[in-house]
Amino acid sequence: METSNAAATAPPSSSTTAPLVTLNDLLWLLYLYPVRWLAIFLPRWLLYGLGKLSNPIVQFQSRGSRARAASWIAQVCRTTPANARRIASQSLSNTMYRTLDALLLLRQSADKMLCCTGIDGLQHLEEAMDRGKGVIIFTGHFCANRLAVRYLAANGYPALSVHNRSPTNRAAGRFGKRFMEPRAAELQARANHDQVYVNDPDCSLRIMRTLRAGGLVFLQIDGRGGTMAIEGPFLGLPWRCRSGMFEVIRFSGCAAVPIVCVGRSSGFRIRFDPMLEIESAPSREAFLSANLPHFFSVVEKQVLENPAEWRLWNNF
Amino acid sequence: METVEQLLTNSGFRPRETVDRIRRVFIDSLHLNLREEDLHYEDKLDESVGLDSVAVLDFVTALEKEFQITFEPEMLTIDLVRDLKELTAYVDERVARSAPGGLQ
Repeated sequence: METSNAAATAPPSSSTTAPLVTLNDLLWLLYLYPVRWLAIFLPRWLLYGLGKLSNPIVQFQSRGSRARAASWIAQVCRTTPANARRIASQSLSNTMYRTLDALLLLRQSADKMLCCTGIDGLQHLEEAMDRGKGVIIFTGHFCANRLAVRYLAANGYPALSVHNRSPTNRAAGRFGKRFMEPRAAELQARANHDQVYVNDPDCSLRIMRTLRAGGLVFLQIDGRGGTMAIEGPFLGLPWRCRSGMFEVIRFSGCAAVPIVCVGRSSGFRIRFDPMLEIESAPSREAFLSANLPHFFSVVEKQVLENPAEWRLWNNF
Repeated sequence: METVEQLLTNSGFRPRETVDRIRRVFIDSLHLNLREEDLHYEDKLDESVGLDSVAVLDFVTALEKEFQITFEPEMLTIDLVRDLKELTAYVDERVARSAPGGLQ
């Protein structure tokens, strides 16, 4: 494991200058305007119907990343190439339904539309909260994460969620980066007021503030990048992720509870696992060496249990 | 009725000392190549150097260690942390409160 100030590197990708407009930008334009307006009054089944219709376009547009994802999945999940392709394709579809669910979260009646079929292991969260030093509930980039955060907040467990204001989207053109991404971030913030961006200078302080008040913080620990990156093996790759969150955990002495949520707004399930035992250490490096493998191992297990729900397969 | 400022002064707290220690903590905790004189009392700390989220946290925890205090959750704001003047006043107040027989 190593730490570095260098910008995080991703698996093989083309790093040429982005074109002015891409198909991805046009899909986002459709999504952010006509589809969003339609989502104000369309019933969910009809919105999902639109998703089903646009699925072939999404699959076509991401065919390159899907092929790369399939070979990665076949290696990591030890499955056949055909099954790996199916998982990669399903992951793309689930990511698209996630963006449709995000529109439903903008509705006034969103909380009533969330159909949670069950929460397992809530006692693990309660036990962690009883320690009184705040709780980080952590997971990977699963499609239903926002649904879980919203549902938990509506049911007495509000959590500050941590996001990336400008996540890497290699399919975006300059138009998309300039106009679509800020608009998408704005809508995301409208759906969940209690969030903070890793890019903001007060991010760690806000997390610390929440934890010291005994609150919950929702983290996706497999997010890549950051100026202070740490690297460890994750799903067979050298994975660089932000080190800031681990500094917060080290300084706050909070508890860390794994959470995983799978499904769509029409039916999703949440599971909490037992609290992770965090080893204290005198230095940042020692803390990371002792704890990062445990965090990554928990999320790897979640991904292997629900491969089609993890949405980073197709990001490279 | 004494003001908080008068109480602090009477308790032996000297803002100059506090601000110098804060400057020193800032420079040391962030491993900056600056002199204490470069950080002016009236300035914002991030005018001298770019502060990212982790740096801010490192600075706050180093301050807590140096002064043996704990920031109250609601005071963990970037506006307070970057403002040397306000930060000095707050640290003095926390030190006074945490001292035996200090302000309640």
